[in-house]
Parts: sequence; C-alpha cells; structure tokens
Amino acid sequence: MRFLSVLRKCAREQKRDLWILGLSLAFAPLFVFIYWMFTGGNVTTSYGILVINHDVGITLSDGSNLKSGEEAISAMEVLTFKDGSPILRVKSITDRPAGEKSLRDRDATVLIIIPPDFSQVIAEAQSGETPTTTLEFVGDLTNPYYTVAAVMAITALDSYTVSMTSEYRAVELLETALGGSAARTEFEIYIPGLFVFAVILIMFQAAMMVARDIESGTLQRLKITRLTAFEYLSGTTTWLVLIAVVTILVTFATAAAFGFRSQGALWIAILVGIITSLSIIGVGMIVASFSKTVSQAFVIANFPFGFFMFLSGAAFPVPMGTLFTIAGRDISIVDILPPTHAVAALNKVFTLGVGLDGVIYELCALSLLSVIYFAIGVWLFRRMHLKA
Amino acid sequence: MNKVVLQAQGLTKKFGSLTAVDELSLDVYQGEVFGLLGPNGAGKTTSISMICGLLEPDAGSVSIHGLPVHGGQVEAFTRVGVCPQETILWEKLTCLEQLEFIGEMYGVSRKVARQRGEELLALLGLSEKRDKLSATLSGGMKRRLNVALALVHDPEILVLDEPEAGLDPQSRVLVREYIRSLAKKKTIILTTHNMDEAERLADRVAIIDHGVLLVVDTPEELKRTIGEGDVLELEIKEISPEQAMAAIEEALPDLSLRSEQSAAWQSPPPQEADRFVVENAPRDDMVSLRGINIADKLPTIINAIQRAGGQVGEIHLRANTLEDVFIALTGRRLRE
Ligand SMILES: Nc1ncnc2c1ncn2[C@@H]1O[C@H](COP(=O)(O)OP(=O)(O)OP(=O)(O)O)[C@@H](O)[C@H]1O
Ligand SMILES: [Mg+2]
Repeated sequence: MRFLSVLRKCAREQKRDLWILGLSLAFAPLFVFIYWMFTGGNVTTSYGILVINHDVGITLSDGSNLKSGEEAISAMEVLTFKDGSPILRVKSITDRPAGEKSLRDRDATVLIIIPPDFSQVIAEAQSGETPTTTLEFVGDLTNPYYTVAAVMAITALDSYTVSMTSEYRAVELLETALGGSAARTEFEIYIPGLFVFAVILIMFQAAMMVARDIESGTLQRLKITRLTAFEYLSGTTTWLVLIAVVTILVTFATAAAFGFRSQGALWIAILVGIITSLSIIGVGMIVASFSKTVSQAFVIANFPFGFFMFLSGAAFPVPMGTLFTIAGRDISIVDILPPTHAVAALNKVFTLGVGLDGVIYELCALSLLSVIYFAIGVWLFRRMHLKA
Repeated sequence: MNKVVLQAQGLTKKFGSLTAVDELSLDVYQGEVFGLLGPNGAGKTTSISMICGLLEPDAGSVSIHGLPVHGGQVEAFTRVGVCPQETILWEKLTCLEQLEFIGEMYGVSRKVARQRGEELLALLGLSEKRDKLSATLSGGMKRRLNVALALVHDPEILVLDEPEAGLDPQSRVLVREYIRSLAKKKTIILTTHNMDEAERLADRVAIIDHGVLLVVDTPEELKRTIGEGDVLELEIKEISPEQAMAAIEEALPDLSLRSEQSAAWQSPPPQEADRFVVENAPRDDMVSLRGINIADKLPTIINAIQRAGGQVGEIHLRANTLEDVFIALTGRRLRE
C-alpha cells in the first residue's frame, strides 16, 4: 500500500516540525481561551428586550381574567443563566418610535410587539379552535447580539404559548423550533465557530505539506515511481485527518476546561469535525495544485480561508439569498463552503442537543463536498504536477 | 550481437522556439555504460527526462525492452532508476528513511527496502549518517545519497545525470568504482562533463550539441577518428629543427603546415587519418607534429631524421583525448 508509505512519510516529516504542529494544534485552544477571557467566561451578558404590550386581555367563561401578554413577559423575565442571573432584561414601553430609537442606539436588542388579540387567540386555542396571531420582532440585524437575544426571547415565548395551548401553536413566531437553547453562556455560543476555525486551519497544513514536495522537487522523484495522485493525496490526507481529530479533541478539552458543556453527544461533533476536515483538506489539495512553492501555497490558501471564515457563518451570520430548493431545503451559494454546514451542525449538537438524525443533512452535505473537493484536488494535482 | 534494452527514436522536445532535443535516436545495449556528453544546454537532461518518462516528448518514442515508456506502461518504469542532476532529497527524512520510502514507492517491501538502503549507505560511505536528516549532510554526501536513491529498487537500467558533480576526489573514486561494479549487471546511462570519467567508465559515448546527436561510438574509436590527433614532440640533435622538419616533410607527403593556429581551433575540420600538421614547438630544439595516429609514423619520422644526419633525443607523445574529440566536435565557444 503506497498510500500508507506516504502517510508514514508525512508523519515523519511532521515529527521534525513539531513546533509547527504544536503551533497549529494550540491555535484554536488559544482562541477558546481568548474568547473565554473576553466574554468573561461564565459571567453572562443579559440582553435588553423592549415589549409593547397591546394585549387587551379577555374574561374567560369561568369569570377569571386572562392576561396572556403579561404572562408572556413574565416568562421571558424568569429565564436565567446557570448562575441565576437573568438572561433578558425586559422593559415595557408604549412608544414604538422611541423603542426603535433605542434599538438603533443599541440600548436594547429586540423590540417585541404583542398583538391586541393575544389573550383571545390563546383562549380560543384552549377551547379547541385554531386561530392565529403574530408576534412581531423588531431588531437591528447587524447587531451581533440580536440573534442571541431573539433566540432567547422566542424560546421563552414559545414555551409559554405551547404550555397554554397544549402543543397547538396559536402564535406565529419569527423562528420556531429553536427550543432548548436557553441557558447558554455567551462564551459557549462562540465555541462551534472556534471548532470550525480549528478545522479550517488544517487547510494551510495540507496545502503547504504538499507544496513542500513540489518545491523541493521530491515530487519529481515520486512521479518517476508512477505514484498516482490519488495514492499520494489520500496518504497525505489521512495524516492530516489524524491531526484534525487531535486538534478537535484538544480544542474541546480546552473549551471544557473553561466551562463549555455540549448539549449533544461529543462523538457526533467529532464526526462532523472529521468530515469537515476531509473537505477542507480537499480544498487544501486544490490550493497545492496551483502552487509551485510553499510560500505560494500559503498565499493562495488565504483566499478559501477568507471565504470559509467570513461567508460560512463561522465568524458571524451571513444573510444569503436562496439559489434553489432541494427536498424542502433552501440551497444558497454559501452551501458550497463546508464550514457553513459544519457551523450549522455543531450549533445543533452543542447548543440544541440534537442527535445524529438531526444533523444527517449537514453530514451528507459535508460528505458530498468532501468527495467533490477531493476529486477536483486529485484531478488538478495530476494535471498540474504529475503529468509528464 | 548485443541486445538492445532501451531504444529512443526521433525524440524531439521544443521549449517555445528553442529545440532542446532534435530527433534524437539511440540504442542502448544490455550491460553497457552509455555516456551522454555535450556542452551546457546541449539537451542532455532534457533527453534523459524523456527517456525516463518525466517529460512528454513532442515527437518520437522511447521503449524499454520494447515496452513504450510514454503511454502508461508502469512496468517500464520500475526497471529504471534515475539519479537527477539536481540533488533532490526529503530534507525532513533521514538518509535511511528516504531510501526506505522511495523503495516502497517502487513497490519494494519495507523490509527489503530497508536492507538495501543500509547496503547502499555502506557502499557509498554514508553509514554513519544513516539516521541523520538529509538536510544536515554536506553537499557531497547529499550527492551520494542522491545516487543511492536511484538504486534502492535494484533497477535494471540506471540513468545518472552528472553523478560526479560536486564530489571530492575520494568520493568521485568511490562513486566511479561503484558505478563500474554495477556495470556488469546493469545497463547504465550517464551524463557527465568530466571527459576523464566518461573515458574511464563508458563503453560507448554519444556527443550531442544543440539537441542534435553528433556521434555515437566507443571512446577509442572516437579518439582514433575525430579531433586533431596525437601530439608528437621530438628533441632534435646534431642538425637544426628546420633541417629535421624538411626531412620529415619529404618522408610524409601528406604533412601540411598549419597556417594559423587560432583559426584552426575555431572551425575544427574533422581530420582525416594520415594528415598531419606542424605545431609550434615548445622549445627551440624541438619539432612538434600533430595528427591522428601519428605514433604509427614514428619509425618513419625517426628514420628520416637520421638519414638527414640528425639524432632524436627526448620523445613526448600526448595522445588524443576524448576532450579533444569533444572540443573538435562542439567548438571552443562558451555556451550561454
Ligand atoms: N523547462 C524548460 N523550459 C524551457 N527551457 C528549458 C527547460 N528545460 C530545459 N530548457 C532548455 O533546453 C536546453 C537544454 O537543457 P538541458 O537541461 O537539457 O541541458 P543539459 O545538456 O542538461 O545542460 P547541462 O550540462 O548544463 O546540465 C537549454 O537551452 C535549456 O535552457
Ligand atoms: Mg543537465
């Protein structure tokens, strides 16, 4: 098995560059640490919520008054972090323009408008009817806290209405089914992105490891032995996947040491990480195909790196239009970036505690992308470097 | 009749407007050492790259034991070992590790590759450096390792592009001896700028220039037929060198005086046998003659001088060398 020999060669070469290996392994954990410091670790931020309560209330048949608007507000107020501090600071106001101004000033994060028929709809739902009403969420979407605060508020409101109407959703929320994400520290919310970041960094290793054989001419020697691009790249890739696994484990251990708790099973996160690293390494091979030297590989690798970091949602959310729809899924241009799916999957596992069946779509997408990128990498590499 | 193991036919390679190799055709016989000579940029490395399948020729073909090299015959490759002109090593692997690795790449088992690697390191004087990273070797040691890498898989045909470059005399002898020891069992193609090396090692040499094959023959035959021939210098006693010269001219009707030496160097006419020229003598009491196989005429010349009343003292004979042949064919001009 020549690919095994290539794997061993990679391991041996890496052994002599231990500090580079150490540096790349330490990178993501270091960022975990930095984020932990910046976010104050377990010290949590509470998000300012403004509420305009138009709910008029209703007198029920048994003579009692139902004021669902006020009850919903209380439901938001009782959300707390693990340490007992409130997640949402809820303030009732009456003036919408004033509320919008404080959103723009970022004094508050979300403005929630409760409709006048809120209590009535809930009461009707309780008696078996199926009316609906809409809760309006207003927020500055460029405010990075918006998503977090909205998720929290929706969680609280949704669980309130569901408890009142026994599973019938009388109130349409902006985003439903995001339950379970309560009680995450801000630090924990950044962790999936950091995991993906750790995996993305492997791309540099991949591109540069291959470029070293190109630059030194040793690839010419291998070419004479009629080594195939597939054998060479799969051997190298296997080594890099091993590094990726170690990176993921080290990053997770670091995060765990600083108080990170995953809601879902860790092995699913690792599986996501491995498949992501395969596709990332595939991209690294494409980069290497275009490189003649190690430094060229480094410079070229920065391009996909930029896309991965800034367009995949690893660093911040990206609003992207839909290209087309497959099986009820909206596919957009950022879906060709493996980290997009990795971030989505890790968020589900870490924050929402989703099981394997919940991330099947992402795993399939990542596997498909891995195959595509790796195949392109092999094809290009053969064309650019192994053809006589 | 010797068996042809490697055959190149009409090999041509162009780099833009430059024709680096122009319709090169060669037959290399089993068990011979075949020297490929030519000035810098003549196209030796390009030819070798095409021969071992690294470079796709624009035209022509190469076959090893009748199997085409270009066109995916993996079998043809494992029979060839290549030592590139440039030292190409894995800097982060030790000497033994890279021998092992390349051996495995050629399909040799790890155990055998390791064992052969150790043997080669010993034979090429690198045993002490077995477990050292190749980056830490001296230039000459790297060159030797470069040669070793071509041999781990025990190839039948060995292609060496300037194996002696950058070696000290000890290493040169070592490598040369090693190549000579292989010569019986393997077919060797080597390029060199060292005419001495080629003369000592090669059974046949090819001289190419500007991508064109000029001659292919044994070094002896080339020396006998090409170049300005041997130089004969005679110390003349009793009579003057001029008188002696007159007597020699009478005895050798083909003798012609070289009109202008520098002109002769620039456009060297391949000399025909039995044409001799008179050279400037190194001493006042000497005559100097040059010609292919002039040594054969020595008795006639001495006879003529004695008949004219003279005596011959010291006799110096400098034989025609491969370098003379080379210069005669490729000229003196430096290649840019
Ligand atoms: N990849 C290339 N691209 C363009 N020109 C090339 C390339 N490789 C070789 N050449 C040109 O082809 C000619 C022959 O080069 P080659 O390396 O075969 O010479 P050589 O006989 O090996 O010379 P040397 O004795 O200096 O090693 C030279 O003019 C060289 O500049
Ligand atoms: Mg050369």
